[in-house]
Amino acid sequence: MKALVLLGCPETPSQTPMAVYVFNRLTKMGYDTTIAANPAAKKLVKISDPEDYYHLNLVDLERLLGEINPGDFDLLVGFVHKDAAASFFVTFDQILQTKSLALVFSRDADEVAEFVNMIEESGSNAIITAVRAFHNPSPIKVKFDKAIKEFE
Amino acid sequence: MSFCLDTYLQQSDNYEIHASKAGFKDCAMIIRFKADDLVYIKPGDEVLGVRVIGIPPIPIGFDHEKGTVFLPYTKPCHGTSVVELPIDEEEVEKIRKLDTGKGK
Repeated sequence: MKALVLLGCPETPSQTPMAVYVFNRLTKMGYDTTIAANPAAKKLVKISDPEDYYHLNLVDLERLLGEINPGDFDLLVGFVHKDAAASFFVTFDQILQTKSLALVFSRDADEVAEFVNMIEESGSNAIITAVRAFHNPSPIKVKFDKAIKEFE
Repeated sequence: MSFCLDTYLQQSDNYEIHASKAGFKDCAMIIRFKADDLVYIKPGDEVLGVRVIGIPPIPIGFDHEKGTVFLPYTKPCHGTSVVELPIDEEEVEKIRKLDTGKGK
């Protein structure tokens, strides 16, 4: 089984620790996991694991977008905390046509609602979990832990 | 060699940005407003050598008099922009074949 974790713009502090957390959790669930991110977000994650303890598999987001095909991954997990991240999630979701989970968060409750609407309006069958969060990853972790049980 | 939008935007100045660092919905509205002809495609469909990112139905606009195309262009940290650039008839026909007919 293969899982793809999509990261958004790295300006949200809670994204990097949650990326490592999600990678570890999915790996323990038996998924061969790949994290796709832009160069800055990739570096933040890579430097968080200096001894390569987690064997993080990091790839370039835009290069991957040009290469993927339906069925390449069995699970898609996306960090959605910007308008562009919602667009990327919906695009990967539509290409892959697989099980998917959107972790929607923002410091602004209106943005959380807006990003949820964008995914719902796309016709996606993704499970969407949403919470107000920015610096503190704990609310996202709690939501992820609950939502990922649907895929166990 | 086939056309590649990313390379074109880096190596040419023959294009116009109508909106930048915007939300996808605003950009879709600008395309609908500015173009005199539209097709609607799915996220991930390839236009001018790149997969288009967005929320369906994604509008791609044409100005046939100027011979240009309007399309949304999304980057993770910079949001979505509307880019207008020249296009030839062969590429227009390729895009027409992607039309889902789901225009709003």
